[in-house]
Amino acid sequence: MKLEELLFNTYGFTSFRPGQREVISQILEGGDVIALLPTGMGKSMCYQLPAHRLPGSVLIVSPLLSLMQDQVAQLKKMGEKSVVAINSFVKQAEREKIWDNLASYRFIFISPEMLVQPFVKNQLQRIRISLLVADEAHCISQWGFDFRPDYLRIAEILPVLGNPQVLALTATATKKVTDEIMAYLKLKDPYVYTHPMDRKNIAYDIKRFEKPNDKIEWLKSFVQEFEGPGIIYAGTRKKSQEITELLLEMGLRAAYYHGGMEHQDRIFVQQQFQNGELEWVCSTNAFGMGVHIADIRHVIHFQLPTSIEGYVQEVGRAGRDGEPALATLLYASGDEMLMESLVMDELPNRHEIEVVAGNSQESKRLVEEGIVRETAYRVISYWLSQMTAEETVARIDMIRQEKIRQIDKMKKLVNLAGCIREYLVGCFDQEVRDKPVNCCVNDGLNYEVFEKKKQKYQKSELDNWQNRLNALLPLG
Amino acid sequence: MLFEELVISIMKAVNLERTVSSPFHLIKGKKSGQTIQDIGYYRLHPYFAVMPKLDKNAYDEVIQSLFARNLLRPNEQVIDLSEAALGMKIPPSKLNGWKYRGNEILFLNRLSLIVQTLSHTSQSVYSFDPVHNAVDLQAWVKEYLVRIDFRDPGIAGRFKKELHDSLGAANVAEENKMMLMQRLTGLRLSGLTWEQIAAGKGLHTLDVQLEVIETLHAWLEVLESGDFPLFSPLLNGVVQRSSLTESAERTDKLFKQGLSLDEIAAVRQLKTSTIEDHFVELAMNDPAFDYTVFIPQDLFRSITKISAQRNTKRLRDIKEMLPQASYFQIRLALAVKEDIS
Repeated sequence: MKLEELLFNTYGFTSFRPGQREVISQILEGGDVIALLPTGMGKSMCYQLPAHRLPGSVLIVSPLLSLMQDQVAQLKKMGEKSVVAINSFVKQAEREKIWDNLASYRFIFISPEMLVQPFVKNQLQRIRISLLVADEAHCISQWGFDFRPDYLRIAEILPVLGNPQVLALTATATKKVTDEIMAYLKLKDPYVYTHPMDRKNIAYDIKRFEKPNDKIEWLKSFVQEFEGPGIIYAGTRKKSQEITELLLEMGLRAAYYHGGMEHQDRIFVQQQFQNGELEWVCSTNAFGMGVHIADIRHVIHFQLPTSIEGYVQEVGRAGRDGEPALATLLYASGDEMLMESLVMDELPNRHEIEVVAGNSQESKRLVEEGIVRETAYRVISYWLSQMTAEETVARIDMIRQEKIRQIDKMKKLVNLAGCIREYLVGCFDQEVRDKPVNCCVNDGLNYEVFEKKKQKYQKSELDNWQNRLNALLPLG
Repeated sequence: MLFEELVISIMKAVNLERTVSSPFHLIKGKKSGQTIQDIGYYRLHPYFAVMPKLDKNAYDEVIQSLFARNLLRPNEQVIDLSEAALGMKIPPSKLNGWKYRGNEILFLNRLSLIVQTLSHTSQSVYSFDPVHNAVDLQAWVKEYLVRIDFRDPGIAGRFKKELHDSLGAANVAEENKMMLMQRLTGLRLSGLTWEQIAAGKGLHTLDVQLEVIETLHAWLEVLESGDFPLFSPLLNGVVQRSSLTESAERTDKLFKQGLSLDEIAAVRQLKTSTIEDHFVELAMNDPAFDYTVFIPQDLFRSITKISAQRNTKRLRDIKEMLPQASYFQIRLALAVKEDIS
C-alpha cells in the first residue's frame, strides 16, 4: 500500500504536510530519524502512521505532563483507542492494569523519570517496542533552554529494549543541539529532516521604549487599532492579570492564563479562545501547549523571552492558517537586566552544589528546608552522579557561560538594525530564501494588512439557567 | 451563602474559644483531631470540607478585611467578634459538608463530561476536546453513557428533563443555579472561569465557588430523595457511607475486636495521640459509645459540670480546675456530652 493510501485509510487525510512523508518513509525503512519540525506542523503524525505498520508498540518519551496529556487527548480524538500514558500521576491500581495489558497498547507515552525506574524498565523489556520517540528532543541538550537531566538516560534504556529504532522530534534545534541529540542517543547515521524555520506569513516588529509604563500605553492603543485573536506573553502571572484587567476595562474580550489557575479554569479559557469568544489571552509561557488555533493574528511579547529558541517557539503559534500574522516584541530600557537575573538565578550556585555533595544522604531534607531549590537539586544530583563536586561546579559554570551567550543573542535581537527574520533564522544555522515583502520593522513593514476589521462580536445572551441548559442540550 | 457569611457563622460558634485559623481548617476539611472534634462540640457539620482547595492567602485576606471593618476585635489568642458581627443575620444555608466531604466535585465532574458529550453527539458532532482528562473519570463516564444508550435522542432528552426537574426543585436561589450551569460546557458553548462568573455578579470568586458548592449540596439532596433513574448512578461514591473518617473507622474495627488504645497504635503504627483523636471522633458520632473504659464515671461528671458552669470548651481552662484529668479524657468527655444532651 502506498503511504498516501495508508494515511487516507487510517486518518482520512488526503495529503501529507511538509516533511511528514520523508520522515515516515525513512522510519518504515528501518532507520533512525531526527526531525526538526515547527510546532503545529503535525509532528505526531511522524510516529502515528508508522505505528500502523510496525510490528510492536511505539514508546513516546514526553518531558512535560501537560504536553503528554494533550498528546494523548489528541490521539484519542483522532480515533486511536490503544493509547496509554504512564507518569507519576497514574494511580497504583491503574498502573497494575496498565502493566497487565502493556503489550496491547499501540502508543505508550512515558515521562523520562518513569522510564529509568528499574521496575518500569523490566515491564517494558517484556514487550516488543518497535520505535522509541524522543519528543522535544532538544531537552537532551545540556546547553539548551530546557535541559532535562532525565532525558540523557534515554540512552540507557535503548539496549534494554533491544535497541529499537529512534525518532527524535523537536521544534527548535541549532546544529549544535542536533549533534548532541545524535551523540547522546547513539544514533547510527540518522536521517535528519530540517524544516525551514522561516515562517513567511509572520512579520516581525520590535518596539523600544524608555520606561516600562510606555509599553502599557502602546498596548492600549494597539489593541484599539488591531484585531485579534492574539496572545500577549506577559512574563509573570501578576502581569498577565494586570494586562487582562486593563483590556477588560477597555471593553475588550480578554482573559488571562497561567499555571497558578485551577485546571478547569484553564480549560475554560482555552475553550473560549478556541470558540472565538475571546480576542486576547494574556499569559505566561504556560499557554500554548494544547492550544490548536489556526487563526492567531498576533503574538505580543510584553517581556523579553529568555532565549531565542523560546521566543521563536512562542511566535510560531501565530498564523498557522498561513494568513498574515504579526509578532511584536516590546522592550523597555533595563528589561535585559531583569531577564538576565531571572536566568542566572535559576542556575544552581556553588553553595548549593557543595551542600548537596556533602550531604548526599539527606538531600531530600535540603530541598524541604529550602536550603537547595528543587530545580537546582535535580540538575546538581544528575551531574554529581556523573562527576565530582569540583567538576560539577566547573560544568555549571560552563552552562552559565552558555546562558550568557543566549542572553547576548536576545540583547542583540533587541538592538538589531538589520533584518530580524534573517537574524532569527541565522540563530538556527539556516538562511532566508525568498524574503517576503512584509518582512520586519527593520526591513519594511506594512501594518495595513493587520488592521482592525471592525467586526462586532455578537455575545449570546443567556440570562437564566434554563436558557443555558437549553443551549447546552438543544433537545425537544 | 457568601464566603464571609460562612466564616462568620463558624466564628460565632467558636467565638472566644478558637483561633482565627480554625475556620480555615474546618472549611478545608482538615482531618485532624482538633477539627473533627470541634465539629461535634460546636455543631459545625454543614461547613466541613466545603472548600478543600481554599487558599490560605485568600482566607487571610478575608480575615484582614474583617479586622479592618471592626467585625473582628484585635485579639492575639482567639476569635473575638464585635457586637456588629455577633448581630449579623445570616440566612439559612443548604450546605451539608459533613455528608459530602468534597465529593460533590466528583458528581460535578461526571456531570460536566456527560453534558459535554450529549451536547455534541445530539448535534451530530462526534469529536471534541473533553473538559476532563483524568483516565478513571473518563472511563466511568464512557461506561455510564454506553449503559444508558446515550445515542438514543430520547435518552438524551430524558437526561435533560431529569436535570431540569431535579435542579429546579433544589432549594437555592435561581441565580446560583445559573452559576453552576456556567461551569458546564457544550458544543460552541464554553465554560466560564470562577473569576468571570464573579465579575459578572460583582462578587468575590470565593463567594461564587461557595454558592456553587451549596447549589450542588441542595441539588444532591433532591436527587437522593426523588426518583431520577438516569441521575442516580452519578451519586455512587459521592455520598459518604459512614459519617466517620476512614482512619477512625479502622480504629473502631480494631477496638471492637478487643484491642486497647495502645495496642491499636502499635498495630497501625500510628501515634497514640492519633488514635485518641479517633476515639473522640467515635464518641461524637456514636451515641452508644462507652466512655467508661477511658474515664471514671465521677471524673466524667466533673468535667461536664465545669464545662457547663463556666460555659467553656477550652481544654486548658478545664484542666486547671481538674488537674487529675488528662487532656484526652477532657476531650472525650466533651465529645460524649454533646451527643447525649
